[in-house]
Amino acid sequence: MVVAILSNVCIAVGLVFLLWGTWPLLGKRSVLFKLHSLSVADTLGSMAIVVGLLIRIPREWPLLVLALISLAIWNTILGYVLAYCSTEGRTND
Amino acid sequence: MIWYLELALRLIIWLLLTADLSWENIAIGVVVSLLIPRCTSTRIIRLRDWFHAGWESLVAIPQAYKEAFEIMLRPHAFEETTLEQVPPRRTPGLIFLDIFIITFTPKTIVTRYHERGWYEVHWIRRRKPE
Repeated sequence: MVVAILSNVCIAVGLVFLLWGTWPLLGKRSVLFKLHSLSVADTLGSMAIVVGLLIRIPREWPLLVLALISLAIWNTILGYVLAYCSTEGRTND
Repeated sequence: MIWYLELALRLIIWLLLTADLSWENIAIGVVVSLLIPRCTSTRIIRLRDWFHAGWESLVAIPQAYKEAFEIMLRPHAFEETTLEQVPPRRTPGLIFLDIFIITFTPKTIVTRYHERGWYEVHWIRRRKPE
């Protein structure tokens, strides 16, 4: 019972993060500003959903933990790459 | 990265991927971890720096969720770019971790790393920067 509630809370938080962070993409702010809210949606929202799944199906923990690590690293570093590409004056340093 | 930390990281990823703790699988994982080319760095690496960066990465997770709730509840409409100094004696691996930790938290994104020892960081702020 407690496990189901905790899992549902995590998934609900993740969904709220995803919706909240994706909505500003339609606005007229700078790319960098949008990347901040996208990191809430993409990285933290998805991670909360995977944690919810981890609580719900603990027997699949190796794959879900790997998914958590991959989400954290890939989303964050892609955010950095997008931020780098969207700013002026690129050099190869 | 220090060789045994690198080996341990590869082995952990192998074990998570295969989800099999048998001796045969661990042996294959060790062989695979040893066969993959190593990242070589000529700089002196300190174990303490790696543990410190690892700890900072863990602390960044609750910090990121705290910042996410903050920017959701109180709009952060202003933007600012600052230059943050890179700590001394950073190896490429530690610089990668620094960029990861800064960018992982939603209020800050590294936009560029300058080899002269600076991270260019983009912030969102609640109040207009002075």
